[in-house]
Amino acid sequence: MNELESRLLKTGAERLALLGKHAERLMQGYTRDDVPLEGLSDGALRKLLAARVLWRPDEQSGVKLAPKVRDLIAEMLADETRRHVNADVAETLELVRSLVDSYREARSRGEHWRQEQQLLRLRQEVDDLNGRFADAIDSLWQRLNSDFGFVSQLNDKIRENDRAQKQIVRLLDGLALIDFDELIELVGSDGSLRKLLISQLQHRLSHHYTSLREVQRRLIELMARFRKQQARSRLISGMVAFMREHPGFVPGNYAKRSEVPNLFNHAAPLSAAASPALDRVLESRVLAELLHELPIPRHAAQTVESAVPTLTPEDNLAAARQQALKLDVERFYLAVLDQPQTEPVSALAYLKESHLEWPGEIWLFQVIAEYQGLPRREQQAFHLHQQETKASTFNDLRLIHDVALAVAV
Amino acid sequence: MIEHGPLLERLLAGEFICAVSDENAFRHLTNEETREAIDSYLRPLNRRLASNDEGSVYFLAWRQLNEAARDQLSRQLGETVNSLLPLLEWLQLVQEALGRDTLAAPGDVLKPAEFSAKCEDNQSLRERLERLATDSFFGSQSDQLDAQVKQLFKRLKEHGYLLQPHTERQVFVVTGKIDYLIEVVRFIRDEENLPIDAEREEGTQEALL
Repeated sequence: MNELESRLLKTGAERLALLGKHAERLMQGYTRDDVPLEGLSDGALRKLLAARVLWRPDEQSGVKLAPKVRDLIAEMLADETRRHVNADVAETLELVRSLVDSYREARSRGEHWRQEQQLLRLRQEVDDLNGRFADAIDSLWQRLNSDFGFVSQLNDKIRENDRAQKQIVRLLDGLALIDFDELIELVGSDGSLRKLLISQLQHRLSHHYTSLREVQRRLIELMARFRKQQARSRLISGMVAFMREHPGFVPGNYAKRSEVPNLFNHAAPLSAAASPALDRVLESRVLAELLHELPIPRHAAQTVESAVPTLTPEDNLAAARQQALKLDVERFYLAVLDQPQTEPVSALAYLKESHLEWPGEIWLFQVIAEYQGLPRREQQAFHLHQQETKASTFNDLRLIHDVALAVAV
Repeated sequence: MIEHGPLLERLLAGEFICAVSDENAFRHLTNEETREAIDSYLRPLNRRLASNDEGSVYFLAWRQLNEAARDQLSRQLGETVNSLLPLLEWLQLVQEALGRDTLAAPGDVLKPAEFSAKCEDNQSLRERLERLATDSFFGSQSDQLDAQVKQLFKRLKEHGYLLQPHTERQVFVVTGKIDYLIEVVRFIRDEENLPIDAEREEGTQEALL
């Protein structure tokens, strides 16, 4: 190892250590405008400036992170908002040409050590170029796969997508600058140069090219999706605003056109109903099984043997008549509730209108009985007005001619 | 045709079939031969298979439009137009309440609880929700926020815009019928020449490829 190289190693390591030593301060500078200087000694500041970790644009302004350091941090954090994409192919190609020239020179003079050095630098340059493309492509994939999740608004996503697409175009332009015919001529018959600059480089670049095209395709697809979503949002908010402004808006009746638009031709629902059928022997067996599987209805146990009062058939008949009368009277009550006005309804008039065959007296009796049988609260919902007269001047017996039922308001 | 029995029943019942509502059936429907087979089966019922422009939902259309069919379609159109504003307002409300940057799209998952919580914290969202829930389309009778939200989701499920994969869990998925709704809106805008912002040229980017 020569002296120059060892000095380089020492200084480089010292300066790299500066990054670790001031890591927190530098990160504060990354997130803010300036690097905070409180508590930083003059000596340390001078070292940071000398190492080009920091720089000062002019005497008045604060101390800032050097752009390369900022890039390095963004790269390490995969911070997609600040990651730069820059392949800088043209400059690398210039450098490659001059390195090849100087390599040739060294070889023709037989300077093996210099020849080795030039080859090493060439290898490093080619690796850097590769690395820059790989980084750029990685950054693009990251953004794509997160659906540009690092910005929240759709409009920002569209802008970020646009920016990414422009970066791809620049990267592709950069790739196009590399002319392999020229490189083949440049390397001539030298085996190691040929391997480095032709076969390896070509292989990697074609890989980058495919990746870039793929990312580009996916970005365009995603952009189309973003635009579609944006168009939808606009359409909906436009339509809502229009309909609010024009509450009476009615579109044409598209169903009456000779050609009904496809969207509006939605046929009426049809239910595919089916019922048990017994006309096939095989199926009737299945149905019988189903029937057996039905849960057995639970009837309350009836004690058949217990003694009950004897009921004559006439009694049963009378009970049925009584029940029918009661039902008819309930219907009368419901009819009163249903009628729109709250005017009293005459019980006898209802009897006549409904063509019921109950004798008037029995009917009135039941109407009154029903009223009195109602719970107190429900009774209050009705007014029962009895139309009555005295039996005679001297007899205070009241005769009821009719009753009128009304809903209490 | 036998294997498509359940699908036919759903179609005949007036349902919209999309990749969310029935992934398997939808995949069958993307096959042209299956579509033709179903179409010929439906012929005696005066129905045919139809889809929206995008091909993301399938439904049944009348094959021949007689007077009765036209009357039914007119009534249906009236109902659609009446439900348009509440549905679109709901879409906007969901987008704003959940802080999303896009409208609800097929496959999106919506949780009533999350929606309630967001509306509870924000007076203006709360008022909009209240107005929407009491609209006759949604028809909520309650003044309780949770009950209103429940009613909204219930009605949207009944109309096929939402799907509830598990009845016991309050999680809903947006179906492809939303695409249909948006196409209806677009159609009305174009047909009636409504002064609504023209969309940016969709698909020009794709055309570049």
